[in-house]
Amino acid sequence: MEPEQIGYIVGGSLKENLRVRLTVPANSVQEGAFVVVESGDWLFYGLVTDLQLGATDPRFADEQSEQRLPAGLAALLHGQTLFTNLEVMPALMAERPPDPGDPRYETYWAAHKDEKPHPLPVKTIPAHHAPVRMASKGDIAEIFGDPAEKGRFIIGYTREQGHPVCLDLEKLVQRSSGVFGATGTGKSFLTRLLLAGLIQSNVAGALIFDMHNEYGPDDTSSDTNQRVPGLKGKFPGKVRLVGLGRGATVRNTPCDFQLEIAQKDIEPADIEMLTRELNLKETTPTTLAALDREFGVNWFHHFKEMKYGAKVENDEGKQVDAPDSVAFWAGGAGVNVAAAEGLHSKLGRVFNKPYIVEHPAADTIGEIVKALEAGQHVVLSFGDFETDLDYLLVANILTRRIRAAWEKKTNDFRSGKASEPKKLVIVVEEAHKLLNREMAAQTAFSTIAREMRKYYVTLLIIDQRPSQIYDEVLSQLGTRICGWLGDDLDIQAVLSGLASKDSLRGMLARLQPKEEVLLLGWGVPMPLPVRSRRYDDKFWEELLGKKLGKQDESTLLKELGF
Amino acid sequence: MPEIEIGRLLRSNTSACVVGCRVAQAGLPAFGSLVRIPLGNNYQIFGLIYDIHIEDDGLVRQLVTSERVDEEVLADNRMNRNVPVEFSVLHAGYEQDGRIWHLLPPRPPLSLDAIYACEPGEVARFTGEGRFGYFRHVLRAADVPVGELLAAHIRQTQAAQATHGREDWGQAAVQELITLLRDDYPQLMSVLGALADIV
Repeated sequence: MEPEQIGYIVGGSLKENLRVRLTVPANSVQEGAFVVVESGDWLFYGLVTDLQLGATDPRFADEQSEQRLPAGLAALLHGQTLFTNLEVMPALMAERPPDPGDPRYETYWAAHKDEKPHPLPVKTIPAHHAPVRMASKGDIAEIFGDPAEKGRFIIGYTREQGHPVCLDLEKLVQRSSGVFGATGTGKSFLTRLLLAGLIQSNVAGALIFDMHNEYGPDDTSSDTNQRVPGLKGKFPGKVRLVGLGRGATVRNTPCDFQLEIAQKDIEPADIEMLTRELNLKETTPTTLAALDREFGVNWFHHFKEMKYGAKVENDEGKQVDAPDSVAFWAGGAGVNVAAAEGLHSKLGRVFNKPYIVEHPAADTIGEIVKALEAGQHVVLSFGDFETDLDYLLVANILTRRIRAAWEKKTNDFRSGKASEPKKLVIVVEEAHKLLNREMAAQTAFSTIAREMRKYYVTLLIIDQRPSQIYDEVLSQLGTRICGWLGDDLDIQAVLSGLASKDSLRGMLARLQPKEEVLLLGWGVPMPLPVRSRRYDDKFWEELLGKKLGKQDESTLLKELGF
Repeated sequence: MPEIEIGRLLRSNTSACVVGCRVAQAGLPAFGSLVRIPLGNNYQIFGLIYDIHIEDDGLVRQLVTSERVDEEVLADNRMNRNVPVEFSVLHAGYEQDGRIWHLLPPRPPLSLDAIYACEPGEVARFTGEGRFGYFRHVLRAADVPVGELLAAHIRQTQAAQATHGREDWGQAAVQELITLLRDDYPQLMSVLGALADIV
């Protein structure tokens, strides 16, 4: 049964949205409601972006006529003169095939060869007085996909009727995407949901940079103090938990293997990327270039071994720079001594990282790449190394390696030498640290966001300050899932590159924290605020399938007629 | 039920007419009542009484100034008065060949045509036809106390409709009036003020 009519079209335009006269109480429709307009042979799907109180004459609104007139008369007067208008942003339209009883039925299907009409971007508007109703479960399935279809993942439910709204995971991983929201708005839970869906559906491999050790091992919610199951516990065979540094454990969970970075894996560009973090001077690139020129891939090792300010006595009894000192090398390489010594001193924080070793016990980066290639998912937990320095350095080095590996695989595939690479999603928390305006050009992440979809690698960015992310990266994000945001700049950033941002702006600021998210962007057929799915036992039961108990089996058999 | 003749036509035009009658007859119809003027050939005009006018004459002027008026004189003056009581009737529609139209009658009635009060069944039939088209004539009329006329008419008609199974007629009538007048705030509030007394 279709939902009852809530109003009818009274005006509007494609540019300025449609106006709908509401015929039901205003509180039965909310901003963001998904509505359907039936106009002739077409259905128009739209989103309520505003509710306005109106009056045929302002005096009817100004006068409290209910105090002058009997209640019945006042109600009749108000019913005719005071009204609520909805502003509806039309998003999609679809042809409505004739019903089987219609004389055009046969001709229509003969012409369309049993092809179901697809929703199209809206290009016209419905007629005056066309009836408007809330979207039914079927309408939502028509637009967002049927939850029973493969690759569809229920991300939430419509706010009024609670109909399931799906994301097309295949589409989600085709381009980079983002999960945004101010702190405490449920980003981590939403990301856990998405990742669980991705892992279960196996549409892409996932490499998760788990800066705060939230996703791999089981965790405790900071708000409710309840146990939150991690991905490793739920998908023990599919998820590899990698700890940073030798002997790493994550929340007492043993890791599948530990990540150590070989000194030769560190490139000068990795250090340049840390300019702000390490407060490096503008002479740094020159010094690094000289090191690279002289020592090649081993520059980091040699530079680390040099001694700062070491002196020896020469034959004449004078104190001169020792041959293993920074100054000695700088003098020989034609580099400013003070600049080299300054860089050496500032790199002390990097030299001392225990996970950067000369000879790692195993090629763990290679192991990670292999695991991802094999269709497994990797959660890299930073364990005790929770500083920005660790995060920036490790994420960048690892991503660069993976990017190179996938570029090669894709090129091999295109030249017919190898099979198609598996899609990979790199999950980056606190993304603005890696993708801000200064860093974006230097890290591998911005390239991935902009170009790597051709090489089967995309990003899933999780951030609370989207305004800090380089806008060129932000505008490339396909799917955006956004919780409540208060800051105007953040809201503007999330909506960058999207049509109808003015209509959606208010909606973002009025989302209910922890409860609601707005789905936006190329990856979803139309913007829609939804009540996000709960990350609880029920979710896992639905996702992983519940084993049938004895009673369930007998009920099932009875239903089947046995 | 016998037909109740109110009086005979004095003068008329397309939209209204004036009927003269004796005082005894004038006790029957009231302000806002529906009346009909049968004109033969299955054609009759319906109208609403919107004004009742009593003119004086020379004798009345003399009697008014006398100290005491005897009951006999009073009765004589009322029964045998020289100047009739005048009822102004606004044409609301007509019936031709059994069909009711809420339009102005094609031909106005002629002098001395007889006027009858409508019975409840006729009231219910005329006012229940269509969607209150005859309200147009009331709202357009000049020098008519629109609010009072409509309130009186709706009160009387509501009772007639209720006996014929349309309990909601009054509400529908008020709704229609609000629709017609919602762009004329002063007029609507004046009408609603009058209607407030009958709800």
